[in-house]
Amino acid sequence: MKGIEGLKAWQAAIQEQRDPDATWIAVCAGTGCLSQGAADLAAALREALIRHSLEGKVEVKETGCRGFCEQGPLIVIHPEGIFYPQLKAADAERIVSETILRKQVIEDLLYQDPVTGRRHIHEGDIPFYQKQMRLVCRLNGVIDPTHIGDYIVHGGYQAAAKALFEMEPVQIVEEIKRSGLRGRGGGGFPAGVKWESCRNAHGEPKYVICNADEGDPGAFMDRSLLEGNPHSIIEGMIIGAYAIGSHEGYVYVRNEYPLAVRNLQTAIERAEAHNLLGDNILESGFDFHLKINRGGGAFVCGESTALMASIEGRVGEPRAKYVHTVESGLWNKPTNLNNVETWANVPLVIEHGADWFSAIGTETSKGTKVFSLVGHVNNTGLVEVPMGITLREVMFDIGGGVRGGRHFKAVQTGGPSGGTIIVDTTGAARPAEDRDEHERGPALVPESLIDLPVDFESLTEAGSMMGSGGMIVMDETTCMVDVARYFLNFLTEESCGKCTPCREGIRNMLAILERICDGRGQEGDIDLLQEMSDTVADTSLCALGGTAPNPVLSTIRYFRPEYEAHIRDRRCPAGVCTALIEYSINATKCTGCHACFKACPTDAISGEVKAAHVISTAKCVKCGSCLDVCKFDAVVKQ
Amino acid sequence: MPTLTIDGQTVEVEEGKTILEAAEQLGIEIPTLCHHPLLEAYGACRICTVEMQRGKRVRMVTACNHPAQEGIEVQTRSPRVLRHRRMIVELELGRCADLPVLRKLADDLGIDRSRFGTGEHECILCGLCVRTCWELVGARAISFANRGTDREVTTPYHEFSDACIGCGACVAICPTGVLKMEDIKGRKVIHSELTLGPQRAIRIPFMQAVPNAPFIDPDECAHFTTGECKVCAKVCPRDAVDHQMEDQFEEIEVGTILVATGHDVIDCSEMLRYGYGLYDNVITGLEFEKLSHATSPTGGKILMSNGEPPKSVAILHCIGSRDENYKEYCSRVCCMYSLKFAHLVREKTGAEVYELYIDMRSAGKGYEEFYKRNLEEDVVFIRGKGSEITTWPEAPGEEGKLVVKCEDTLLGTVRRLPVDMVILSPALQARADAAKVAQTFGLGCSRDGFFLEQHPKLGPVQTASDGIFIAGTCQGPKDIPDSVAQGAAAAANILSLVDRGSVVIEPITSVVEETTCGGCRLCISVCPYDAARFDEEKKVSVVDEAVCKGCGTCVAVCPSGAAQQRFFADTEIMAEIDGLLAEIGDRHQFPA
Repeated sequence: MKGIEGLKAWQAAIQEQRDPDATWIAVCAGTGCLSQGAADLAAALREALIRHSLEGKVEVKETGCRGFCEQGPLIVIHPEGIFYPQLKAADAERIVSETILRKQVIEDLLYQDPVTGRRHIHEGDIPFYQKQMRLVCRLNGVIDPTHIGDYIVHGGYQAAAKALFEMEPVQIVEEIKRSGLRGRGGGGFPAGVKWESCRNAHGEPKYVICNADEGDPGAFMDRSLLEGNPHSIIEGMIIGAYAIGSHEGYVYVRNEYPLAVRNLQTAIERAEAHNLLGDNILESGFDFHLKINRGGGAFVCGESTALMASIEGRVGEPRAKYVHTVESGLWNKPTNLNNVETWANVPLVIEHGADWFSAIGTETSKGTKVFSLVGHVNNTGLVEVPMGITLREVMFDIGGGVRGGRHFKAVQTGGPSGGTIIVDTTGAARPAEDRDEHERGPALVPESLIDLPVDFESLTEAGSMMGSGGMIVMDETTCMVDVARYFLNFLTEESCGKCTPCREGIRNMLAILERICDGRGQEGDIDLLQEMSDTVADTSLCALGGTAPNPVLSTIRYFRPEYEAHIRDRRCPAGVCTALIEYSINATKCTGCHACFKACPTDAISGEVKAAHVISTAKCVKCGSCLDVCKFDAVVKQ
Repeated sequence: MPTLTIDGQTVEVEEGKTILEAAEQLGIEIPTLCHHPLLEAYGACRICTVEMQRGKRVRMVTACNHPAQEGIEVQTRSPRVLRHRRMIVELELGRCADLPVLRKLADDLGIDRSRFGTGEHECILCGLCVRTCWELVGARAISFANRGTDREVTTPYHEFSDACIGCGACVAICPTGVLKMEDIKGRKVIHSELTLGPQRAIRIPFMQAVPNAPFIDPDECAHFTTGECKVCAKVCPRDAVDHQMEDQFEEIEVGTILVATGHDVIDCSEMLRYGYGLYDNVITGLEFEKLSHATSPTGGKILMSNGEPPKSVAILHCIGSRDENYKEYCSRVCCMYSLKFAHLVREKTGAEVYELYIDMRSAGKGYEEFYKRNLEEDVVFIRGKGSEITTWPEAPGEEGKLVVKCEDTLLGTVRRLPVDMVILSPALQARADAAKVAQTFGLGCSRDGFFLEQHPKLGPVQTASDGIFIAGTCQGPKDIPDSVAQGAAAAANILSLVDRGSVVIEPITSVVEETTCGGCRLCISVCPYDAARFDEEKKVSVVDEAVCKGCGTCVAVCPSGAAQQRFFADTEIMAEIDGLLAEIGDRHQFPA
């Protein structure tokens, strides 16, 4: 195959074989849906098709993640685009017999909006998808990642061909610079500037690396891209390598992503077989070899220098970056490292041009960003939104608001290194007399933060960071001290331990947070935490330590009274820290139904039927089972 | 050459230097824990964090690895720097025991007690040992294991590592002393003060060595084991270290040779009853000599292996000498050096000294007087050879002591002497390679293995081979004055030959008749003086007349009669025999 013409001819040939009006079923086979039974569903669909003698006529395609993981397993029936969420294998028969054969929409299988109660037929009508701008993820639910033909038919590798045959390397760098594409791994460094520095750096060979060591708790953007559309990353890396002058690349992917590794490996093999990777790509004279390097599960290996040390076979620990990796990285050679999502954006920029790309987003943050929206929100899943969208739009319009009618408390972005931002003071939603004493303290944060635009600068200013795209929504039942403790616990275990402030600082900060949560907090602990944060942030070797105090600082910044309540009043306002809460039974509300008596695992509840029950605080382990079973709101948590 | 400002002082440094090096140039001290000039900067302890301003941007950077860039302004003791430095030291103290290296830093920063308590760890995780093992030694035997607070320095899987070459570099560089070595390479530590740690790979052979320069022992040197290290070359300011250098064999043509190869001492560990090698404080005379020398590891102090001075010392004469089981001869030097040791021990420690002797042989100028002086210094002389050393106590006062058993032949009783230290006076013996050397130089050996002189009275430095002389203990046990005298005599003999420029050779030598020699080389194999050689061109044997002593051995073995002795040709001898056997009446007749 030679040049763009060859590629286009191949695309046309595949297109010719395919009937655009043919019916086919896209079964989401992302890890989320697979864990909920997508594989069984696909098998059941195939069996049902055989029963109805439709094999060979209707194709069942297992695609990458469609993002709406909350509703998995889910399918889309093409060409009509009928969207059925939360299916079971048993639904397969009905789907085939009614929707496929008789073209009837099955009403009760359709998605029902939890807020409005309306049912929607098409994916595009669902609020979850309406405000999204799916560019990087556009093919995720459409193509079978293990079939290169699917990618080709959607114009795959044409951006790479365009770069190789119609553009000079300098031109590509210029285009990327002009597009305003910034690193999606967290730092937000302009990709084009990085490429240019690496291109101009002295030393051969040069390397390009794709950082797929996604380790933030709750984040799975890179995983979905690698699983659902690995070719887009390969294509991005080919373009990058050509622009920089590199002939060798690595994808550093964590071994906890077995499907991602498998799909990527398959994609590399297919691309090599079709002369899209390896020597003399598309007969352009350009060589590029790509290898997969599997990570051993250390969070710190997501840090670029630690990642490179790991590829080199050394202990994955960072080194000082006073000499940049673009000048001296992997094996002390110029190395350009970008995140999965950054690489996946590259073909889009080259295909549509820098002007098209830079038209999306804000002044300083261009394009879209994929977030994994998780936590106490109605619609969890993977969302791709244009930069500059407000937090309100993400959480209320796309996320469908907080679950169970509770109040928003905060959103945490940027992973363990990021910060927690209050987006809705509970006071705004509740009358003043209902507010706790601590909430009436100094105004924590302007309510306008809920309309904070999601871009690199705004998030940083608000005390958090963009990070790689984790977005954890928390409602009023979340204790902010506990949140800080959780992230510091994670970081204590994941610190590589090389430098003192990170290793010892985080450990001791965790110890202080633990004692606060345990009701043993001391006056001055908040100041000490801030003092330690200052040193840890200022003197740590790498970004892991440098940003580790963020969860502590941002929660102190917005929720200081909550800390003070823990320390001074020995009280956890959110009712999370077990050492600080007590369960009791409101005798006037208790009907003596005996439900709590039966539920209590430690026999801490006593009382006769039809009489008010009592909880023995000495026996109570604060598991909350009584609260869950009580139908009369008689169990009180304080 | 970048110019930068540190604490208000401007300094110009070479390209590629770090802020730490620039500060050193100014005499500004920045504390460090994980830095070492021979290792690549690591930036782990963060103690050296300084405040750096470039343009308007102020950042905290580590001085050990941040390049000294043009125009930067560095503050090494600003309030912000000190605040961070205190916090880091406090954090480190919270993890570690009160180690001296941390205590000093804490005192300098005015930290009395860490707010994070006191930990138990003795390792500060500075990584100096790991990096030494990887970067310098190249053995890569130890590394960091585990993450975060579980991080530790260890060998793979905590197992004994084959990769460890036992060089001890990690121990030497460890700032806390937590790394320790034991029983390296199975080397038994006999007296810890004498063999502390492993043998240094680079050393001056002995104090008065000529030239007084160090050499590298390839058997001990890490570079010859791992191919890396070369620390010595890195630190040598004169670039004098050359790892490529090898032993060279040089051939020098000379007219005379003086053999002065010295002696060995008998291996005391073979004589099990003296417990040498078994008990820490049983040492040999040479070891004592080294111990009491001003340049010894103890600085000349006489100490036991536990670092304490001994309260009683026994000196045993004739260990292997005058002993039919080992050496029958007297080693001549032991009596006098033992007296010297006794004197030194009395003078340096005041310990009680026992001299166990068979006979006191103090023949020599001033020797008897020295013996008497020792008597006056209250050294206890016991006539009787030490027979055994044991640590098995039989009486109170013997516990924890070395007990020397002997027969006091003056008192006529067997005695047990409990002492702290025993010095053995081992026999002098011919060198192990004496026979080989003798063969090389055509020397003879006496029954005891020492080289044989030409004549015990008239030719004490000459040998049977002309031009080859001997001197010193290779000829037999003798003390330093005798060795010097013998050496001087040999030198005078050699000089007289050199001055003459020619040698008088024996008139009676062998010759090989070329025309009849069959080339069998029997003559070469039997010649005791290496005078015969084979002429490859002519295929005949040739006798070097300058070397030939005219012994006639070759003549006797020559099957073809080609080897003949001048003035003693077969015909001449036959004629002489005929003459001897002729009848009386014919005595005036000459044979035809």
